[in-house]
Amino acid sequence: MDTNSDEGKIELLRRMTLIRAFEERVIELYHKGEFAGLVHVGIGQEAVGVAVAASLNADDYLYGTHRSHGHFLARGADPDKMMAELAGRATGYCKGLGGSMHLVAAEINAMGATGIVAGTLPLALGTALACQDEDKIVAVYFGDGASNTGGFHESLNIAALWKLPVVLVCENNGYAEFTPMSEHTVVEHVSAHCGPYEIPSHIVDGNDVFAVLEALEDAVQRARSGGGPTMVECLTYRLRGHYVGDPAEYRQAQEVKEWQEKDPLLKLSTTLQERGLLTVADVSQIMKEAENRIQQAVTFALDSPYLDATAMLDEVFS
Amino acid sequence: MSQERFIDSLRDGISEEMRADPRVIIFGEDVAVGGAFGVTGGLADEFGDKRVINTPISEDTIMGMAVGASIAGKRPIVEIMFMDFMTLAMSQLVNHAAKLHFMSGGQLDVPMVVRVQQGAQGGWGSQHSQSLEAWFAHVPGLKVVAPGNAADAKLMIRAAIQDDSPVIFIEHRGLYFKTDPDDLPVNDIKGFHEARVVRQGSDVTIVSYSRMVADALVAAEMLGAKGISAEVIDLRSLVPIDMPTLIDSVQKTSRLLIAHEAVMQGGLGAEIAAQVQREAFDYLDAPIERVGAPFVPVPASLALEKEFVPDPAKIVAAVKRMFGRD
Amino acid sequence: MATALSNAALRAALYRMLLMRRAEEEVIDLATNHENEIRGHYHVYIGQESSGLGACLALGPDDYVWTTHRNHGHVIARGGEPGPVIAEVIGRTNGYNKGRGGTFHVIAKHLGILQTSGIVGGCVPMAVGAAFSIKTRKTDQVSLVFFGDGVLEEGAFHEAINMASLWKLPVIFMCENNSVPPEGREQGQYPSSSLAATQLIDVPNAMNIESHIVDGSDIRAVAPLLSDLVVRARNGEGPFFVESRLTRWPGNMGAFPELIGGPYQIGWVWDPSTADAALQSWLTDSDPIALFARALVEEGVMSKAEVEADDAKASAEAADAKAFALSGPIPEPESAMDYIFA
Repeated sequence: MDTNSDEGKIELLRRMTLIRAFEERVIELYHKGEFAGLVHVGIGQEAVGVAVAASLNADDYLYGTHRSHGHFLARGADPDKMMAELAGRATGYCKGLGGSMHLVAAEINAMGATGIVAGTLPLALGTALACQDEDKIVAVYFGDGASNTGGFHESLNIAALWKLPVVLVCENNGYAEFTPMSEHTVVEHVSAHCGPYEIPSHIVDGNDVFAVLEALEDAVQRARSGGGPTMVECLTYRLRGHYVGDPAEYRQAQEVKEWQEKDPLLKLSTTLQERGLLTVADVSQIMKEAENRIQQAVTFALDSPYLDATAMLDEVFS
Repeated sequence: MSQERFIDSLRDGISEEMRADPRVIIFGEDVAVGGAFGVTGGLADEFGDKRVINTPISEDTIMGMAVGASIAGKRPIVEIMFMDFMTLAMSQLVNHAAKLHFMSGGQLDVPMVVRVQQGAQGGWGSQHSQSLEAWFAHVPGLKVVAPGNAADAKLMIRAAIQDDSPVIFIEHRGLYFKTDPDDLPVNDIKGFHEARVVRQGSDVTIVSYSRMVADALVAAEMLGAKGISAEVIDLRSLVPIDMPTLIDSVQKTSRLLIAHEAVMQGGLGAEIAAQVQREAFDYLDAPIERVGAPFVPVPASLALEKEFVPDPAKIVAAVKRMFGRD
Repeated sequence: MATALSNAALRAALYRMLLMRRAEEEVIDLATNHENEIRGHYHVYIGQESSGLGACLALGPDDYVWTTHRNHGHVIARGGEPGPVIAEVIGRTNGYNKGRGGTFHVIAKHLGILQTSGIVGGCVPMAVGAAFSIKTRKTDQVSLVFFGDGVLEEGAFHEAINMASLWKLPVIFMCENNSVPPEGREQGQYPSSSLAATQLIDVPNAMNIESHIVDGSDIRAVAPLLSDLVVRARNGEGPFFVESRLTRWPGNMGAFPELIGGPYQIGWVWDPSTADAALQSWLTDSDPIALFARALVEEGVMSKAEVEADDAKASAEAADAKAFALSGPIPEPESAMDYIFA
C-alpha cells in the first residue's frame, strides 16, 4: 500500500474504521451471548496494526498477541472468516478451533496469535531464521507486560546475536492486564531493554499512524537489508478493558477521557479533513461502509454451522 | 546390519535426512560441537553453521524458535540437553507446538522433532535424571517415541523428521554407547508407531520401552530358567501406542507386566494397564503388574540410585507375584 | 568504604583459599582414582577461590547464599567444613544433605546456603524470593546469589532482576564470569558468542540496578567492594549486581576437571616455570592463590615458609576431609523413601 498517495492515506482510515466497527460488534455480540470465551479487543490501538500492515509486503510474516483481531484485519484478513472464527463456526479461519486468542490466517501470512504473553516472540524468531535467505521479514507484536517475561529477553538476545530480520512492534498501552507499567517494571519505556543488545529502537505516538509508519520504515529497511532487529515502541491506550467484560476499575476516568481525545481514528480523520482529502460526509460514508461490511460478516458467521464434533478429532495431527 | 552403537546409528539417521532434505536444521546448546553427548558430532562440519545452530542457554525461546521455523518451511530438530530441562520449554511445546495444527484448523503444520535424553545413572541427581515421558504423552498433539536399540534409533529418527507433526524423540543416555545384541530381530522393519515382539513367549507379556527393553529380556531369560515363558514387547512408540499388538499378546499369554524406568505413579504403565484391562479383561488371569521407580526424586547417592532404578530382578519379582509365588 | 583486612584476616583468607583448592583436589582424586565414588559429572571451583571467599567474607551469619553446580568452593568459603562437603559429593550419610543431593546440591542450612542448582540460573528467582521475605519480615539480612555468565542468557534471570529492582530487594547478584583473559579483568568488553550484550553489566544497568565490575582474582578487590554493597543492601539501597571477572583455570577447560601436572605445588607460586607449560601463564597472571600469596610475602605479611606451612596444613585438613567422607556410611536402601514430604 502506498501511503504516500492520497488514496493510500484514505485507505489507512478505511482499515482503521473497519477494525473499529468489527471490534464494536464483537463486544455487542459477546454481551448478547453469541460469543463465548475470552475476547480482547483493540479499540484505541488501531493505528499501530494498520501502520504495520501497510509497511509489510504480502509475503512477509506477521505474529500477533491475544489482542490481534485488528492486527489481522489490517493485514487484509477476511472479516467473514474472522467473525466466524470468533463465533466458533466451521467457516472461521481455524474452523472454530482457535478462537479469538489463537487466530491463524496463513493465507495472509498471519501465522499466529496466542494467549501466552510474549509467546509469539520465539515463534517469530524461528520463522525469521527460516526465511533469512528469502528476502522476507517478520513483524511480531507484544505489549509492555511482555517485556518482563524471560522469553522476551531471551528473544531480544537471540534476535540481536543472529541479526534476525524481525521488526519488534511493542504496543505499550501502559497496562499489563490490570497493572500499570510503573507497578510492573522499573524502566520507563520497554525500549530501555534494547540498549544492552544494541538493538535500535524508536518510541512513537502509537495513535499517530504517520509517526508509526515513519518508524516502521526504518525498521523494515534494516530487517530487509540484513541489519537485524529494530524495536518500534508505540505508546498507545486501549479504550476498553483488558477483556470484553472487564469493568477496568483499575483505571481513572480522567485518564481514559484524555486518551479518548487522542483516539487514533479521530486523529487521522481530522488530519485528512484538514488536508482536504476528505469531507465530514466522506468520513461518515467510510464508517457506514465499514459497518455494512461487518454486518455482512456477522450474518455470515451466525448463519454458519459448527464443525462436527468427531471431525474435530481429525485435526489433532497433521 | 553393521554393529553400530546407538549414538552412531542415530547420527547416521540424522545425517541421511539432512542430506536428503535441505529443510532439516538442528538447534540446541553446543550442537555445533557435537552436543553434550556427541550425537551431533561432525554434523556442523558437513552441513555448516546455518543448519547446525548453537544456541544460548534459552530453552524457552529455543523451543519457540523451532516452532516458528517449522511453520515457515523448515524441519527443525531441537536438542534439549536433559529431559529435566524440558521444564523450561514447556509453554512453547505444550501451548504452541502441540496445538498450532489444531488451533489453526489445519492451516499450519509443525513438523519438528524434539530430541531429548533421559535416564538415571551415574548419580547425577534429581535435576539430571528424570524420566518424564508421561507428561508429554498426556498432551494431545504431541507424538512421543522412544527407540530401545541402535537399529530403531536410525529408523525412527528418520521417520520422526519426516513426520509433519511434532515428535518428542526420547533417547536414553544409557543406550548411547551400546550396540545391539546379535539376536535382536530388527530385520523385521517396523512402522514408526508399531510395537515389536522381541521375544516370543506364552506365559506372560512384558511390555517395555527404551533402555528397559534390555532389562526385560534379561528378566525373560531368568524367568525361562524358572519355567516361565515370557513374551517381551518393545513398545517403541508411546503416543500413539500400538494397542493391537499388546492385546494380541495378552490374549495369548493372559498376563501383563509393564516396566519403565519412570516413576510408577502416574506413569505410562498406568495408562497401558487401564486400556488393556478394559479391552482384554476376560483374557486376564492375574492383575496387571507394573514395574517402575518409586515415588521419590532421583537420589544423587549411587547406592540409593541403584535402589531407585528398576532392573531385571524387580521385573522377575513382579512376574513371580503374578504366579502367586514368593 | 570497608576497612582493609587485618594481617590475621589476610592470613586466614589465604588459608581458606588453600583449603578450598585442596578440598577440590580431593574431589578430583575421588573421581579419578576411586572406583564408583563419583561416576557422573562434577565441577570444581579451582582458580576462583578469591571471588567466592571475598564475597562470603562480606556476609553475616544470617545472610543467605545461593549457588550453582560449582558450589563446593562457595560452601567452604562460607564456612562449611570440607568433610561433610566431600561426603555429600560422594553420597554418604555424613554429607551435608545426608547423601541425597550430591555434587550439584550441597546445601547447608546453618550457613544460610539454602539451595544450589544444576539448572542454569535456577537459584536466581529463589534468591529474589528470599530477599522478598527478608523485606517483608523487616530484618537486615541480605540474599547473595552466585551464578555464571551463561545465566544472562536465561529468561528467568531477567524476570528475577526486574522484580528485585522494582521492589528494591536486598539481593546481591554475584556473576562470576570466568571466561575473561587476564588483561580484561579490570576493564574492557567481553563479547560472548551466545550473548549479544558486549558488557554484561549493561543488562542489569538497563533495569536501573547499580552494577560493578571487579577483578575476581584479587580478593582484596572483591572483599571491600562486597562489604560496601552488603552494608548498603542492608540499608535498603539494593539490589546490586557484581560482575566478578576471572580467568579460567586451564584444568577446567575440558569436559571434566583435570589436575594438569598433578596436584598444585606451592612452589609454583614462587616459580611458575617449574609447572607444566599449560599452567605457567595462568599461574603468573591469574591464579588467585599465587597472586595473593606473592603479594602477602612481598608486603611482609607472611613469609614463604609460613605460606608453605599453611598449605601443608590445608592439604592435611583436606586429606582428613576425604577420609571422613570415605568413612561415611552409604545410605541404607530402606531410607530411600525418606524426606519426600515434610
